[in-house]
Amino acid sequence: MPIIVNLDRILAERKMKSKELAEIIGITTANLSILKSGKAKAVRFSTLEAICKALDCQPADILEYVED
Amino acid sequence: MKDNTNILTIMTWVILLSLASILLNDIREFDFNQFKEFQSWAKFADKNESWFTSKNAIQWSYYVISAGLFIWRGYLIYGFSYFLSILKEIENGDYFSNNNIKYFKKIGNIFIWYTISVLVLRFLLASIGKSSFNFFNELKAEFTFLIPAGLAFYILAEIFKQAKKTQEENDLTI
Repeated sequence: MPIIVNLDRILAERKMKSKELAEIIGITTANLSILKSGKAKAVRFSTLEAICKALDCQPADILEYVED
Repeated sequence: MKDNTNILTIMTWVILLSLASILLNDIREFDFNQFKEFQSWAKFADKNESWFTSKNAIQWSYYVISAGLFIWRGYLIYGFSYFLSILKEIENGDYFSNNNIKYFKKIGNIFIWYTISVLVLRFLLASIGKSSFNFFNELKAEFTFLIPAGLAFYILAEIFKQAKKTQEENDLTI
């Protein structure tokens, strides 16, 4: 998929663990793992908003378009 | 939902057992001794006579086709047994599983093939001369409702296929 999820990089920069982020934004660690691995088919605006709020970043910092 | 599934499972078992007992009773009433007559005919038949036109061969064909009708009725009961598998999947919470799609298609196949085969066998019986056959009357007979029912199961299988895709997409929406 040409959309890359850079959550791992942002998490490392913020020195935050996946489990911690999952708890803050109110999703399961399994779902966060699906999102990080790029297996997710779609992201809700509410989830994106919660991630941006928790990590103090912009949607573009998390999602990136790379041509195949 | 579990209560409903249990009630449906019990109803399906009752229908299956009733159909099986009716079939077994019909087989018991069917005169299988006719086949023994054929065996003795085979020993003493005039070898110069054409097999296809001989009276005994026609009679034997009649009983073979009658027995064929029993086999198809058994196949229909086997088709009904798939309802139990579908109910089992629903009970486990797998509403839109690949198995359910497969079972719906199988039931559709069995219903349609049963109706077509019984129509053909009844036509053959009529051509042998022991019963009358009118295609439109046969189509009006109660068993032909299985063709639209079979098509309905094909449609259900397609709906379940789409539903499975939608559910998968929903599950992967974070």
